[in-house]
Amino acid sequence: MSGEQALSTLSENMPKQPLVHVSELKKSFGSLTVLDRIDFDVAQGEVLAIIGPSGSGKSTLLRCINFLETPDEGRIRLAGVEIDAGRHPGQKQVLQLRRLAGMVFQSFNLFPHMTVLENVSLAQKRVLTRSQSEADARSMELLDRVGLSDKAREYPYRCSGGQQQRIAIARALALNPKVMLFDEPTSALDPELGLEVLSVMRELAQDGMTMIVVTHEMHFAESVSDHVMIMADGRIIEYGPSAEIMRNPQSARAQRFLHAVRDR
Amino acid sequence: MNVLFEQAGNWLPHLWNGLKLSLGVTVASLLIGLPLGFLLSLGVISRSRAVRYGALAVVEIGRGAPSLVLLQFAYFGLPSTGLVFSSFAASVAALSWSTAAYSSEIIRAGLQSVPAGQSEAALATGMTRLDTMRFVVLPQGLRIAIPALLGFAILIFQTTSLCFAIALPELTSRAYEIGTNTFQYLPALTLAGLLYLAVCVPATLIVSWVEARAAS
Repeated sequence: MSGEQALSTLSENMPKQPLVHVSELKKSFGSLTVLDRIDFDVAQGEVLAIIGPSGSGKSTLLRCINFLETPDEGRIRLAGVEIDAGRHPGQKQVLQLRRLAGMVFQSFNLFPHMTVLENVSLAQKRVLTRSQSEADARSMELLDRVGLSDKAREYPYRCSGGQQQRIAIARALALNPKVMLFDEPTSALDPELGLEVLSVMRELAQDGMTMIVVTHEMHFAESVSDHVMIMADGRIIEYGPSAEIMRNPQSARAQRFLHAVRDR
Repeated sequence: MNVLFEQAGNWLPHLWNGLKLSLGVTVASLLIGLPLGFLLSLGVISRSRAVRYGALAVVEIGRGAPSLVLLQFAYFGLPSTGLVFSSFAASVAALSWSTAAYSSEIIRAGLQSVPAGQSEAALATGMTRLDTMRFVVLPQGLRIAIPALLGFAILIFQTTSLCFAIALPELTSRAYEIGTNTFQYLPALTLAGLLYLAVCVPATLIVSWVEARAAS
C-alpha cells in the first residue's frame, strides 16, 4: 500500500467531525424549562427533521442554534465555530455563527419595503461586502434556482405565499451557508403552495445541503430527511434514521404523537 | 363684523409678519426637535440602562411639563442661571424640547410596531444590530410614524400662539396688540384665527393624503 493510499484509507476510516454539534443545551423562559439538556450532531450533507407536538421546544431549539434565542447553557459548534452559551458569548462570535447558518421562517419575514432582488442582495452587501452588481448577479442566480427570476423587480406583496417562501430560501442561500435551518416553512401555506416550497427544499437536499427542518410535514420527514428527532416537553424522546423512527417508534409518547398526526 | 372687512387690508400686513414669525418658530422647532426626538427614541429602546433612563427622563419631563411652563422656564427662568435668551430663541428652545419629547414617542411607537420577525430575519443573515436598524427597522418604522409626525407639526404650529406669553410678536400677539390699540378684539382675533386656519386646513388635508398613501 502506498503512503498516499494509506492516508486516504485512514481518513475514510476516521470518524468525520459533524458539521453541527449541539451538547447539553438548556433554555428556560422564567420557571418554564423549554429545552432540557439537548445533545445531537448533524453530519455534512445530512437532513435532520425535528417533529413533535406544539410547545415541545422544536422552534426554540432551532432558534438557539443561531442564537436568535440565547441558550442558558450548552455548547454549539457549527463548521468550526464553537460557542459556549454559559460563557456569555460576544456579539462577534454570534455574528460569525449566524453567517454560517441560513434561516427560513414560518412567516417568511421578507422585507416589505424592498424589491425581491433587494431582499436577496441586502445581506450579501452588508455581511459579505459584495458590490451591488456582484450581489445582484448572485441574487438573480438564486432566484432563478427557486424559479422566480421574473419576480426580481416586484415587491413581496405582489407574490403568493409560496413564492415569498421560495424568495426567503434564496435570501438565506445568498450567504453561502453551511447549514440551512427551516422553522416550519410550510405551516403558513395552503397545501398546494406548500408543495412548491417542499420541492425546492427537496432539490436543496439532493444537492447536498445540510438541513435542519422543524416541520409538521410527515411525508417530508420520512422521505427526504436522513434522521428524525421527535421532541416532547423540551427533551428528545426519539432520534434515529427516519424510516426507523417514523415506522417503528419505541416510546409510547412518540407512538401517540405519530398516531395522532397520521389519523388527522 | 363689518369692521373686519373694512380693516382687514390695514391689519393684514401686521398680522402677516406675525404669521411669518409663527411659521419660523414652528420650522426651527421641528428642525431641531425632530432629529433630537429621533435620537431620544433610539435612547429609549437602547439596551444600555443608563442611556435608556437618561433618554426617558428628558422625554418624560418634556411631555409632562405644559408648553407654557417650558416657554416661561426658558425665557424668565434661565436668565437667573446666566443663560439669557431672546424671546425667539426661548420659544424655539422650549418648543424644540416639546417636539423632541413627543416625536420621540411617536417614532418609538413606529419602530416598535415593526414586527420582530423583520429584525430576526436580518439578524439571522449575520447582519449587525446597527445594520438591522438602519436598513430594515428604520425605513419601515419611520414610514409608519410619518402621518402622526405631520399631525404633530400642525399642533406645534398652533402651540406657537403660547409664545404670546413671552412677548414674541407672533400672530396671536399681533392680533391682541391690534385689539389693545383699537378695542376691536373680536375682528382682530377672528382675522388671526382665519390665518391659522389658512395654514392648518391645507396642512391637515396633506396629512390625510399622506396617511391614505401610507396605508395603501
